[in-house]
Amino acid sequence: MKKTTILFLIALISNILFSGCYDRIEIDDQAYVMAIGLDKGKTNFLRMTLQIAVPSASGKSSLGSEEENGEGEGPKSVTTTTVETPAIYSGFNMVNTYISKRLNFSHTKALIFSSELAKEGISEYINAFYRGREFRNTMFIGVSTDSAEDYIRKINYVLDVNPSKFYEETFYSYLYTSFNANTHFFNFYSQAKCSCSSPVATLVGVDKIGSLNAYSIEYSTFMEKERENYLEGDFTAGNIPKEYKNKTSMMGLAVFNGAKMVGELDGQETRYHLMLTGEYNYSYLTVPDPESEGSFILLNVKQSRPPRHSVKMMGDTPIINARIFLEADILSIQSGINYEHASKMHKLEISTEEFLEKDMMMLLQKISKDYRVDIVGFGKKIKGKFMTLDKWTEFDWKKKYPNADFDLVVDLKIRRPGLIIKTSPYES
Amino acid sequence: MNKKEAEMNIGNWEMAALVILILCTKIFLSFPRLMAESAGQAGWILSIYVSLITITVFWFMLRLYKKHYGKDLIDLGEHIGGAAGRIFVGLIIIGFTIYVNSVILREFSEDMKIISLSISPISFVSLFFLAAMIISAYVGLEALVRMNAIAVPIISLGYIIIMLGVGRYYDLSKIMPLFGLGFKQIFINGITRISIFSELLIVFMLTPNLKKFNNFKKSTYIGIVISSVFLTISSLVYLLVFAYPHATESFLPIYQLARLVDYGSFFQRGESVFLLIWAVAAMLYLSLGFNVLLQSFKKTFKLDHYKPLILPFAVIIFTLSLMPPNLMSVIELDTGYLRKWGFIISFGFAILLFVLAGLKKTKKKGEAH
Amino acid sequence: MADSKNKLRDFFIFREPKDYKEFVLTEDKQSEKRSCQQSEEKPKKNRGLIKKLIMPETDQSSVRSSDLECLEKTKNEDKKDSKKLKINKDIKVSLEYMKKVYSVPKNGDMVVREFEIVFRDKMVPAFLMYFDGLADRNLINESVLKPLMLLSNLEIKGDDNNVVDYVKNHLLHQGQITLTDDYEKVIFMINFGGCGIFIDGVNTAFAADVKGWEHRGVEKPSTELVIRGPQEGFGEILRVNTALVRKILKDDNLIVEDIIIGKRSQTPCSMLYIKDIANDSLVDEVRRRLEGVKIDHLFDSGELEQLIEDNTYFLSPQVMSTERPDRVARYLSDGKISIIINGSPFALIVPATLWDFLHSSEDEYIRFPYANLLRGVRILAIIITLFLPGLYIAITNYHHEMIPTDLLLAIEASREKVPFPSLIELLIMEVSFELIREAGIRIPGPIGPTLGIIGALILGQAAVSANIVSPILIIIVAVTGIGSFAIPNFSLAYSFRLQRFAYIALGAISGFLGISIGLFIQVIWMANSKSFGVPYLVPFAPPTSDVNGGQVFRRNIWKQETRPDDLNVKSKKKQPSISRRWKYNKDEN
Repeated sequence: MKKTTILFLIALISNILFSGCYDRIEIDDQAYVMAIGLDKGKTNFLRMTLQIAVPSASGKSSLGSEEENGEGEGPKSVTTTTVETPAIYSGFNMVNTYISKRLNFSHTKALIFSSELAKEGISEYINAFYRGREFRNTMFIGVSTDSAEDYIRKINYVLDVNPSKFYEETFYSYLYTSFNANTHFFNFYSQAKCSCSSPVATLVGVDKIGSLNAYSIEYSTFMEKERENYLEGDFTAGNIPKEYKNKTSMMGLAVFNGAKMVGELDGQETRYHLMLTGEYNYSYLTVPDPESEGSFILLNVKQSRPPRHSVKMMGDTPIINARIFLEADILSIQSGINYEHASKMHKLEISTEEFLEKDMMMLLQKISKDYRVDIVGFGKKIKGKFMTLDKWTEFDWKKKYPNADFDLVVDLKIRRPGLIIKTSPYES
Repeated sequence: MNKKEAEMNIGNWEMAALVILILCTKIFLSFPRLMAESAGQAGWILSIYVSLITITVFWFMLRLYKKHYGKDLIDLGEHIGGAAGRIFVGLIIIGFTIYVNSVILREFSEDMKIISLSISPISFVSLFFLAAMIISAYVGLEALVRMNAIAVPIISLGYIIIMLGVGRYYDLSKIMPLFGLGFKQIFINGITRISIFSELLIVFMLTPNLKKFNNFKKSTYIGIVISSVFLTISSLVYLLVFAYPHATESFLPIYQLARLVDYGSFFQRGESVFLLIWAVAAMLYLSLGFNVLLQSFKKTFKLDHYKPLILPFAVIIFTLSLMPPNLMSVIELDTGYLRKWGFIISFGFAILLFVLAGLKKTKKKGEAH
Repeated sequence: MADSKNKLRDFFIFREPKDYKEFVLTEDKQSEKRSCQQSEEKPKKNRGLIKKLIMPETDQSSVRSSDLECLEKTKNEDKKDSKKLKINKDIKVSLEYMKKVYSVPKNGDMVVREFEIVFRDKMVPAFLMYFDGLADRNLINESVLKPLMLLSNLEIKGDDNNVVDYVKNHLLHQGQITLTDDYEKVIFMINFGGCGIFIDGVNTAFAADVKGWEHRGVEKPSTELVIRGPQEGFGEILRVNTALVRKILKDDNLIVEDIIIGKRSQTPCSMLYIKDIANDSLVDEVRRRLEGVKIDHLFDSGELEQLIEDNTYFLSPQVMSTERPDRVARYLSDGKISIIINGSPFALIVPATLWDFLHSSEDEYIRFPYANLLRGVRILAIIITLFLPGLYIAITNYHHEMIPTDLLLAIEASREKVPFPSLIELLIMEVSFELIREAGIRIPGPIGPTLGIIGALILGQAAVSANIVSPILIIIVAVTGIGSFAIPNFSLAYSFRLQRFAYIALGAISGFLGISIGLFIQVIWMANSKSFGVPYLVPFAPPTSDVNGGQVFRRNIWKQETRPDDLNVKSKKKQPSISRRWKYNKDEN
């Protein structure tokens, strides 16, 4: 009796063990999706692009496979597929039929919408992504200036073997370029659901030009800013004058109202946006030389303290006081003028502050008057003045914000001049 | 066997750890969301308010209970009404415990299904918790309480790591406006939320195992205070990270918080490790409830052994846990009924028993004269 | 030449096979008499699984009344046996009897020496018997034969009228002599290296302890090697071992109690404890368990450990064994009890809790920071041995989101070509690793360890090249194996090696949920078990007063002021609160 019981138990246990339980899936039975692109479909609601990692190529170095690729074909470490589908999970179902492995989304790093789709509103899709347990909160949301499918297909991983690393490093580049923001899914979603702020998404795009010689200055946005030439951030994605194997770029932000896209910011404006929200880390800033026409001074600007904003109500008009604290190191003085000297340095500081204030005011006016959304989150400062939620909803910040008056002060201090402490002129 | 059970001694720290575990396991279920739903941005204020009321009520209960120390609730029922009283009290306690156990078992199984085992049938997942309940019942309450004393510090450590790990998402503006949905909603409608502490009923069933009243008092107070601190911290942190309407959306608040923990490329996907802690906490909670259930049944009907009862009750709880048709009805059973009206049984009924027992004693004294 | 011709011929010609009777083992006719013992030995009918679950056992040991009667009967019979056979006055009868008992012509190593003693001018015949090889020949010649044969010729100075008294008081100048009046005692002494002396005309005999067999001297301990600390290890002789412990403790309160275990082997064992530290009830319990062991032969302390431990089916050891006398002395001074058996260099120490198995003898001798680092490393080793393969299976089969993306793609790339699911892969590698380990123990000399290393390397490398396993699995299995070597007590290491298979199975069934229930069951099982009355997980469950008492991480040596609380010792303090007087008082001592 005892023996048969033991045999029975062994048979039962090994049956469960070796036949595989319900959820047991081997790693190599799954296909890991690196990026999802969503466009407006021609024949259906949605056109979905999935970029799937091919593991055996990721294990080897990418140097061998570079020569075989033509331009714009994409490396062999990923494979891309596009389907026309009514909704997201239907698309996954369709893709699963011809992909040999099961799709797994727990490593999806990027979610790209096309601007056409974003302008109509992406709330339906964001809901699905939030509810699914496989999608992680650290997915980056991007808006492509033309088509998401184009963007995903045209990425060429020159320096990375691993596609997920490419996305992470590119989307985190705001830490040292400040031309995009930390727009991962959690930030986007929580800003969208709060009545005190509005979300933003990174702007990505495919280069419009084939080679550098075909570039025209109309692609840049510097003319709106009353400048004579474009500075390093006066572009949106896709319009950068560059020539590189990777035909895609990332610069600027897409401004949303709730879940609908209402406008774009270019690179410089993104930098100011980061300074206002306090997420700015450091970057290289080009400012015009106050004493010499046509020369520039290059500074490495960091945020020295989080910005201080305060909001006061004067009747129905909010008066917004914004103070920004920056500190800078001198990287290069083109004109050779000895700005390291104390008095000249002060002059440089003041001229830089004016330059920044002018541009930032233009940005603030653009956001509040043209786009009519509060992406910096000034509403948070005034939310604390209310006692209960009803009074806040009554107050209706979103209606009042477009009338706001801004009072902006930038405080810049130059700390270090690099290795050279005194510039002496060239003898010619 | 009888002698062994009666001799079981629970130490101070073990009692406090037991109280902490039975009150704090709900953090891993739906407690933070419940607070956010009840009081909006002021969920944490509601939590503090409810804890203070509970401590006051508990103090009052201890004052009434002091003279009858050493008897648990069923003994008191016998003291009041003889065999009928004992059976009545026993049935209420048994019913309450079965309800709580089966609802929580279902909730935790759904929890696990959502986190990792999405395709397995719910009965398969419940089997693990059932196995834990059955084995702990065979081993006995003493070993369970000991394991509890070891596990509670580790579980608290994991919990604190999650709370601190989302530090960079804290945003004070998310808990503004300060009083959320309004004073009336917090302070008047929120009184029924003392049912969150309704598991304290179990504590009164374990009093024969603590010899001295002062130890009992001290350890339960410490347990309740630490639990209140943990509960408040959890709802505060949850509201600091997830703004109000957004906060009422997720089914598993702590899981969402754990998913956000992201320090560099290494410490970023660790929420499955926390699954270990939650599963162990769930098993301990369910086992404690199950053991108390068995002991109460044995005492109510004056049986000699409780071991034959283990399998039948396990099957009963398992079946009851499978009865609600979907997750929403389970949550409704938990937050809508248990966490709203449970205080009637756990506090109201217990106070009634104490008062009646006190009256009976004075009546006896009066008759003797 | 002729041989091969014969073989060839047999190949072609058939020859009738010779009549060759095979050996068949029949039942012994003697065994019919021992009916009672047979009923004792009949296997107990096992209660069905369901019955065991439902109906409680009314008593700890389900002893039937018929068994009790039988026990009484055999006891009485034993008593009767011992009452007979007192020593006969006639030496010839004694000689015959002893020769019969020892089957003298057959037993080649039994020596019988007959001689005469002079007593008051009378020649008294006598004989002695001893086992050649067990007894020290020189000692017998010098201290027994010489005085009895030669010195008995001298003048009698006292006035003993009795031969026996005369021989005992004046002649035999041997240190250990017992007088006895029944054969059994003499036989017992002769069996263990003594020498029996029978004298005509008296019904008492002498048994002299003249042990002197060849044995291994005091060497380095073979299993517990330390860098810092004494390098002596136990041998196989009981008295040598107890002497090694005594010379360290030099305590007059150290009691070495003698107990004989084993009806036929009569193995002498000693129970050591310090009388005014160890708890009395603990001493009584140990003695009760030792005396209650009824077996025929006891060969090694390992068998004794299994006979006295609390729970045979518990997967972790509950009794500690050590080869070092300094460790035994340390545990005795803490209030534990030690059992040493003749013939085994491993001494047992009871009671033992889980944390005792994490200590090595070196922990107390090296400095505080290094000792704690080593303890930390050992705890890490235990965690790795127990959990690493199970966690690997759980993560790669269920929780794919836990792995960083780069690692995931690398694992997937390497697993593409492997034909087996990862569970089977892991089991193959684990089983081969265990095989290599087991094989490495049996191979003698210098080839052993080399073969183990080479075998593992080559096997692993070849398996990876043949795409049977993925490389990451080799790392995991190797690290697990190394972790199990780092556990100081090999009994505990075995138990964890066994348990990790359970964790692999649980991890494969449902990922982290399975592992958590494994953890739950293990901890609650440990929390429930006791080792000689001390809960296994003390000081954490139940919490004792010295939670930080040095069980997990060692305390500072001048802070170790009290003995561990869980043993309920009689004398708690072992150091005053300031044990470094030199640091605080410069003038006084």
